[in-house]
Amino acid sequence: MSDNNNVKTLLVVDDSRVSRMMIRAFVLAKQPHWAIIEAASGNEAVELVAHNPPDFCTMDINMPGLNGIDAAALILEKQPKVRVVILTANIQGVNQNRATELGARFVSKPVTEKAIAQALEFFESVA
Amino acid sequence: MNPLSDLHTDALTEIFNIGAGRAASSLSEIVGDEIKLSVPSIQFCQSSEVTAAALLIDNLHLGTVRQKFNGLFESTAMLLFAEERALEIVRDMMKSELSIEDLAEFEQEAMCELGNIVLNACLSAMADILNITLDSSLPTYSVDSSEAIVYQIICEEDQPFVLLLHINLEIEKHRSQGYLIFLLSYSSLTELISRIDGFISGIQ
Repeated sequence: MSDNNNVKTLLVVDDSRVSRMMIRAFVLAKQPHWAIIEAASGNEAVELVAHNPPDFCTMDINMPGLNGIDAAALILEKQPKVRVVILTANIQGVNQNRATELGARFVSKPVTEKAIAQALEFFESVA
Repeated sequence: MNPLSDLHTDALTEIFNIGAGRAASSLSEIVGDEIKLSVPSIQFCQSSEVTAAALLIDNLHLGTVRQKFNGLFESTAMLLFAEERALEIVRDMMKSELSIEDLAEFEQEAMCELGNIVLNACLSAMADILNITLDSSLPTYSVDSSEAIVYQIICEEDQPFVLLLHINLEIEKHRSQGYLIFLLSYSSLTELISRIDGFISGIQ
């Protein structure tokens, strides 16, 4: 987690390389100084956060192994200051409710400028 | 030779998962319960290489919803589920206590609706993300043997390329695995790849 107010660290968790590329591109267009790290699974994200907690995290749900909701729950249990956006195509109400219960923001895929703006708004509202 | 690179395949898998997410949301409203619907992997092959074994179809009879899509490119889309599973899906969709045998008369209509939701969700996700327009025909439903389905695929000489999507569908207590097959002509495949290239180059 960074001490510098301007340079934040964002962990992007998604099994799709294309999605990670898109999230990275849209975020850096708005926040060029942020450091972005990536994980391709929920398990990898939990491990990364244990060693190097980010300020923010975008989390897909449908991934091989640990799903994104469970990964977010584990991350927030150990690192409650990490701000998590569940960014997923799995848009059913049950998942939106789970995200809210965790204190995370739910944003629907596809990854677009608008979707990333919603995520950034959530991150910056607590930054 | 597979003309799709790993990045093309990743992009298509993500596009179809977005479609599956939309379809799951619609279906969950119908059945009033959580639906798990995902596209864990896609494969590309030529129709001449398709066999029942290659499709990993071990069921003798499959419920098949067919729909044709056209626009910037054309495709025949087929959604396949084992017939018995298809009837269980229908029962969940109708919240019915009827026996599988008694449900058979509703199978045609309910499976067309299921296919319409899943196929259109996947194709509309593709159209939105790749910025194209696709129109669809009305869906048709039939129960065919796996050999008959493979024969139909092979006979589509104008569409010799096959995109095969593995689908996991879980409604309430029922788990089912199905397949979504897109048959493409050479020109349609070329157009699709060109669109994906344009999409990827926009984010690199």
